[in-house]
Amino acid sequence: MTGLDLQKVFRPVKQELKPPKYKLLTEAQLEEATKKAIKEAKEKLTMPPVLDEREPIDDVLAEDKILDGIETTKYIFTDLTYSIPHRERFIVVREPNGVLRKATWEERDRMIQIFFPKEGRRVIPQAVFKDEHLVTVFQQDRHEDILNMCIAQFEPDSADYIRIHHRTYDDIEKHAKYDLLRSTRHFGGMVWYLVNRKKTDGLLIDMIHRDLLDDATSLITLYHMLHPECQSAKEAEERKLQGVDLIKVFAKTESQKEGYIQLALQAYEEAMATSTDHIEELDLCCLLQHQL
Amino acid sequence: MALGGGLALLRAAAGALRGPGRPLWGQGVPGVPPSRPCSAEAPPKPSEPPSPYKEKPWEYLESAEYQEAYGDKPVWFGYRRHHKGAVPPRHTRKACLRKGKRVGNPCPICRDRHLFVDFRNVKLLDQFICPHSGSIFHPTHTGVCMKQHKLLLKAIAQAQDHGLLWLRIPFVPVPQDDFAARPPAVGKTPPAPQLTAGRAWYPWYDWQQPPPDAVARLRRLYKDYLRQEEGGPAPGGAPEAQ
Repeated sequence: MTGLDLQKVFRPVKQELKPPKYKLLTEAQLEEATKKAIKEAKEKLTMPPVLDEREPIDDVLAEDKILDGIETTKYIFTDLTYSIPHRERFIVVREPNGVLRKATWEERDRMIQIFFPKEGRRVIPQAVFKDEHLVTVFQQDRHEDILNMCIAQFEPDSADYIRIHHRTYDDIEKHAKYDLLRSTRHFGGMVWYLVNRKKTDGLLIDMIHRDLLDDATSLITLYHMLHPECQSAKEAEERKLQGVDLIKVFAKTESQKEGYIQLALQAYEEAMATSTDHIEELDLCCLLQHQL
Repeated sequence: MALGGGLALLRAAAGALRGPGRPLWGQGVPGVPPSRPCSAEAPPKPSEPPSPYKEKPWEYLESAEYQEAYGDKPVWFGYRRHHKGAVPPRHTRKACLRKGKRVGNPCPICRDRHLFVDFRNVKLLDQFICPHSGSIFHPTHTGVCMKQHKLLLKAIAQAQDHGLLWLRIPFVPVPQDDFAARPPAVGKTPPAPQLTAGRAWYPWYDWQQPPPDAVARLRRLYKDYLRQEEGGPAPGGAPEAQ
């Protein structure tokens, strides 16, 4: 459903300009280069994990009342062994009142970024990730950029990551800007979010408008897999519906925007009818030309 | 004799100096420059009123004044640096406002008192970023002074931080860690028995009954000094070695 548009995945980005390189390829070499490009694009389009919010850490390891009042600041002790994964790294905090506790998730992320800096991640997250500034970014239609920044900055199970993703998906659904995320790695996450909350109507209409019937049917199949108890799922299973019938049954039973979906389907069917007429005429013309 | 007289004069003059080396005859009203009726200098100009665009600098870029002055071109277009020789120096001047006075030929931002480098007027900041490569122009290209260039860099970074300006984001691949696992560093560790039972952390934080042989040894050592109620011997007063 994500779509593999090579022109969009490998579109030119603003960067330092270099002189262009030209290559002369045979047909076979061109095919091989295209296959390689498709393979690279598929790697770039791997969906990031969708997880629940991580539980906060609040474990006290020791309480040394003898140290109460001696220091005025907290001390954070980080285990800097190079070969252990970051999730297994022990990071503890000694409070001024002598309590030794495990560091919270935010403190852990900050310390790991200070000692093991990762590209694209800052110790203190950017101001864009606050709600009032997200609105500016959405007005500029830069949803994909902000989601990429979010993946670079936050862990997939952190509260900020989940909040930003949900806000972005809500904004896209409100303004029907689904095409911005098509052919990106965020499309899958958006579809999962919308199907879980049963807000699939806008996406369905958008797909029918763009003549992506296969995508529409797979969306409805996913909906049935996630909500097997709904009426449309039962009907589809009973009558083994495919294609346009499935969409019609779904529109009647589950959707709120039934009228719009019917209109879109009608327009699609008319377009199909006229195009088949055109194709038949073209076939006839070709036959005649061949005969002549 | 003359030397002694000269020395006396100097001492008198030094004694007459008040404050930061101001001579006795030079004391006037503080704040007002001394009037020089026969000097050829121009009288001091009154300071200009503050610009009306100080609070909202982005409004100036929409106004007719700006359009008339610059049109569609960027603010620095057509500015020519003044320097000796054919090759311009690698850095522009340090600042256009030195000790409160404007230099001759100020830079494109300093010459227009309505232009303010603020992270919110994105249109002005955009003029100093290359539209093709996204990099910031060097001050030798635009002609701004180094102080304004530093302010520009700060404002551009702030605007990118707030999402007002485009920023190149490097592609970060999806993390492959196992997020389901909760190793002991991040998972729940059962608290120590002292904490659950409500006891103190170290046993010696609370009062402990000392071992009986140590008590007996101390009693034996200090038996002459123990008080009556602790069951020691009757106060013998002075020890026997008196």
